[in-house]
Amino acid sequence: MTQHASPQLLRRYADSDPTLAADMVWALEVHLESCANCRARLATEASAVAPLVDEIWASIVPDTTPAAVHRTRRLAVWATPAMVPWLAMTALITLIALVADRLVAPPYPSLALLLAPIAPVAGVAAAWARGLDPAHELVAATPRAGLYLVLRRTLAVLVVVIPLMAVATWTSPLRWLLPCLAFTVATLALGGFVGVSRAAVGLVTGWAALVMGPSLVSQRLPSVLEPAALGAWVAVLVAGAVVVRLRATVYTRLAT
Amino acid sequence: MPRVVSAAEIAPTTYPFEIHARGLKVRAGRRMAVDGVDLSLTTGVHGLLGPNGAGKTTLIRALATVLRPAGGELDLLGGASQRDVRRRLGYLPQDFGFYRRFTVREFVEYMAWLKEMPKADIPGAVQRAIDRVDLTDRADARLKTLSGGMVRRAGIAQAIVNDPAILLLDEPTAGLDPAQRMHFRGLLRDMTDICVVVSTHLVEDVAAACTDVVLLNEGRVVFQGATEALAAAGTETDPGDSPIERGYSALLAKGAAR
Amino acid sequence: MPDEEELVRLVARGDRAAFEQLYRRTAPWLAVRLRRRCADDQVVAEVMQETYLAVWRAAGGFAGATVNGSAVGWLWTIAARRLVDAFRRRARDTVAPLAEEPVSPAAEDEALSDVVGDEVGVALGRLAPELRQVLQAMVVDGLTVRETATLLGVPEGTVKTRARRARLAMREALS
Repeated sequence: MTQHASPQLLRRYADSDPTLAADMVWALEVHLESCANCRARLATEASAVAPLVDEIWASIVPDTTPAAVHRTRRLAVWATPAMVPWLAMTALITLIALVADRLVAPPYPSLALLLAPIAPVAGVAAAWARGLDPAHELVAATPRAGLYLVLRRTLAVLVVVIPLMAVATWTSPLRWLLPCLAFTVATLALGGFVGVSRAAVGLVTGWAALVMGPSLVSQRLPSVLEPAALGAWVAVLVAGAVVVRLRATVYTRLAT
Repeated sequence: MPRVVSAAEIAPTTYPFEIHARGLKVRAGRRMAVDGVDLSLTTGVHGLLGPNGAGKTTLIRALATVLRPAGGELDLLGGASQRDVRRRLGYLPQDFGFYRRFTVREFVEYMAWLKEMPKADIPGAVQRAIDRVDLTDRADARLKTLSGGMVRRAGIAQAIVNDPAILLLDEPTAGLDPAQRMHFRGLLRDMTDICVVVSTHLVEDVAAACTDVVLLNEGRVVFQGATEALAAAGTETDPGDSPIERGYSALLAKGAAR
Repeated sequence: MPDEEELVRLVARGDRAAFEQLYRRTAPWLAVRLRRRCADDQVVAEVMQETYLAVWRAAGGFAGATVNGSAVGWLWTIAARRLVDAFRRRARDTVAPLAEEPVSPAAEDEALSDVVGDEVGVALGRLAPELRQVLQAMVVDGLTVRETATLLGVPEGTVKTRARRARLAMREALS
């Protein structure tokens, strides 16, 4: 922008001169939005508005109380506040399992390892359960609701839970990772049919009763956590992912 | 900054009604709560009246696209895609839940983000919405510290933050004191250029702010027309303390008698 | 001397001196621009008050959101929308206080040809006033169809029709 407005032009603009051509006004206004120099010169020519400007400042000043420093809750776009207590509970249980493993004699299988697959289920349920997310209906009605939001929140859960579990079961890192992901996806998939809370409760009690209980009683690692079973877990993961993808619209509606 | 005006923006509107429903049926649990509703609503403030259990909330939820209709047709904004409709929709449910530790501003910003507003527009739009509902001096207070009426105003702010073309309010004046209700009616009177549906069972709110009224009973539309016509439908013998209440009772009785 | 964007960032941190400086630098420009759209100085005062208070409160959001954006452009988007809100409130009771239409241009106007090319400038000048008003509100002021309708006091359909006619006329004039 090489050419600037002349003082006469600015004066005519400032005085709301009706003979100023419309295309001139257009060009001038566009120019003024990007040129601080011309704005400053306009201020000197705009003596007519000076009293108005001073008056307005006087009326604004009393309302400029020290502004509260507000941290924008950007974290909320990843995890809702409702999820936080459940993630905290998961962390606490993991800690307890870790301590229990250190205290209990070797023949017992690692409690942390047994818990690892179902660790994310509570967090995932908290992200979607109608009873747990107070803003459920509001969120479901928005354009962003849907698979994208589901994946974001699930990622937030996994980001918290997986490192926790990795630390708690550092002797056998990979046995539980695929089962963990499979359970995450299964909670979402099943949740689309019977509701996330019911799905979560069902999966957790099922795992506790059918796998954890017998494993602790027989003091042997369950066969489903052996490397040979990985293929089955992959199948569950893929099937669950397909179901979630196909039924993605359930997250854009009010859960019944 | 000069902006580019797209052709789509100035194309003539192809639809006559923002909300167009034919034979709409919506289930709530086992019941068919909305049972064959015909509705054609254009811009203006429309009141949705009816006794408890008439299906008002279910109808509003169907209009907000959070409930899938079980039958009939529903065209919003001329049959636009659900995502487009939701971007231009504002919804305040009856028992709207919120995150207690959020401040008013954070809550409205979060909802603005969820409504996929352009990131640069959000702070200005949030401030404008907060100012319109008169919560400016409490904008940075946590929601749990606010009274019920103020929380509801924050709810209204999130509903209008994206400058919606359709605004759905389910019992928005519940818990508001008379002064707040008057302010709310003033807010409604400013919105005659968009399609507003206000579901309420407070007849005076309807009388003061609505251009026309839809009376719902047992899932069906019993009356749709101007507020004056509703008032004219009642006679001295019908129960009620005002012409509109009398008209309301008269039409409900007539509907039940059929 | 800090530019306006830097000032807004300081305002976001609660710096009242920066806020006053921002005001002194931008208020004259804003006042003049608003007065060209609204004949009622009281409404202009109201709008400016609301705008700067909104800036004081919402500056944090601007500083975070737009890295390349212009602070003055942001200021205008807030002011324009507050102006529309004010007109909407007034339209309920009285007629909207629009500014006067410019009469035929004086002969000795110089061209600001770098910004608007000569041909475009001439084409704009030849547009019927009501068409140019709509175009100005939408392109220069950045308003939506609905906001333009409220500002000019005409129905939305009319705004759209005029915008289309203006476009057509401009295209014809420039071809």
